[in-house]
Amino acid sequence: MKKRSVLPRWLTSEHPLPWLFPVTALLIVFGLYPVLYSLWLSFFKRNPATRKEKFMPSWNWEKLLSDDRVWDAVQITFTYALLALSIQLIVGLAIALLLDTDRKGFGILRALMTLPLVVPPAVTGMMFLLMYDSSFGVISNSLYALNLLSPSAPILGTGSTALWGVIIADVWQWTPFMVLIMLAGLRALPREPFEAASIDGASGLQSFIYLTLPMMSKIIALAVLIRGIDLFRIFDYVKVMTDSGPGTATETLTAYAGTVYFKTANFPYASTVALATLILVLVTASIFIKVFKVRF
Amino acid sequence: MSALIKTWLRYLVAMVVVGIFIFPIAWFALTSIKPISAVFNKDRVVVFDFEPTFDNYKVTVLGGLKSDNQGSSNILMGTSGEGAYDGRGSIVSSLVIAICSTFLATSISLLAAYALSRLSFRGAQGYMQWILSQRFLPPIAIIIPLVFIFRDLGLRDTHLGIIIAHTLINIPIALLILKSFFDDVPIEVDQAAMIDGATRFQCFYMVVLPMIKGGIAATAVLCFIFSWTEFLLSLFLTNSIRTVPVKITTFVTSTGSEWGYISALGTAAIIPGFIFILLVQNHLVRGLTMGAIKD
Repeated sequence: MKKRSVLPRWLTSEHPLPWLFPVTALLIVFGLYPVLYSLWLSFFKRNPATRKEKFMPSWNWEKLLSDDRVWDAVQITFTYALLALSIQLIVGLAIALLLDTDRKGFGILRALMTLPLVVPPAVTGMMFLLMYDSSFGVISNSLYALNLLSPSAPILGTGSTALWGVIIADVWQWTPFMVLIMLAGLRALPREPFEAASIDGASGLQSFIYLTLPMMSKIIALAVLIRGIDLFRIFDYVKVMTDSGPGTATETLTAYAGTVYFKTANFPYASTVALATLILVLVTASIFIKVFKVRF
Repeated sequence: MSALIKTWLRYLVAMVVVGIFIFPIAWFALTSIKPISAVFNKDRVVVFDFEPTFDNYKVTVLGGLKSDNQGSSNILMGTSGEGAYDGRGSIVSSLVIAICSTFLATSISLLAAYALSRLSFRGAQGYMQWILSQRFLPPIAIIIPLVFIFRDLGLRDTHLGIIIAHTLINIPIALLILKSFFDDVPIEVDQAAMIDGATRFQCFYMVVLPMIKGGIAATAVLCFIFSWTEFLLSLFLTNSIRTVPVKITTFVTSTGSEWGYISALGTAAIIPGFIFILLVQNHLVRGLTMGAIKD
């Protein structure tokens, strides 16, 4: 005999509501509501002199589209994301192949490889600032010795190299992410196809191109998606290492939104730029998910 | 013979590659125990023959006075004020925030993850996608209104405020990882418990929860690391409370950077993450891919 409960059904533990309520409430109040608030803010024109705001729905969005700094920032964001992503993917896959063996000692090497992942990105920025320093930085001085860099053009102070300086810090921190995921993929591969291929006389390179890569394509797409979205939202390294400089040479969209917020206090326009980042991430991610059929 | 050479070559290359990735951390840690004269020596950048010193840690982590630090008094740079490089308050704040937000995010995500794994209901798929989209939301898109909302609620520049903000970014990750751990437990376990008369909640709390203890621990560790390393939200939402990553960036000034102090507090900030990540090596891939890849 089952006990009859006096509570309405949606309050019992058989109903999903009580289980989902805390998470949903928090996400709505502090996640969804701010996005809508942001959208609402973007409909106001702020007068910097009087600090008054006036309802003009298209003002900020028109300003956004005609703002050269936004288009520069979009270009820098894409350049940054694509360069960092391709390097991380290729180097990550190569290192995963190198470390994918059961020989003694490689377990420790794989564990050591994960350490950069837990360094706070702001601290990573500091590590690289120290090594890039134009007078006593170890990287700068090594490059001087090899004649690849001159002290008159410091890495982060020169427009043509500053973005690379930031990308290298990102690559250092996040290549281990790719290595880990690729290693998990490699470990899960079945053995038989490779044995058959080697009996048929396939070279190592052939079985990599025709077997490993196609069988890993799902995992690679997933890793690219997760990493790619984080790259579009890049903020910490730019803020800490170059603060968008020199000039605006490393100003990504998120960094520009931060600059508008901190330096001009034009909150409606800062919200508009931030929403543009959100739109860019959502559109790019949806296209990617459709094209590569990524599933979680 | 050639196989032997190949094996050794692989060891060598692997050690060099891993060495390159460890180098920046090692260099930073080394800088933290150098006396100031060795840090700023531009004629000999690579020096190992210095007297190791813990002065930088005394000031940043133990609250020693900057003026007691040998050799710093004649170099004028960085922020002034005796307490400017005291990181103790930041370490305590960061710990409180990380522990509380980890506890909050993990516990409420456990409830939601169980429901999504066990109770079939209309809209479950859509709900999952909404959670996932929260993970992809750029923090910058919510930060400006969040500053206003927090100001109105009196949460700006409070520990509770950042705890909520970090809980918010940890929920989607924790929920998806925990759901993948719940999915690993066969549904027959729940059915057996309920035939024996357990309610749904008893079944969750007394039967299934103990079975995924390891997964919960791994999730909590990852949440802790994400909170401990978070920068953007903490930067915007605080003025006087400084988490460790934000505090370190205040050591860089236009008049020069106190690299000794930066590297000491920075090295100290890395250590908890190192200990924790070695504890969760087995579930790391699942954590980083939010349950999409099981290891």
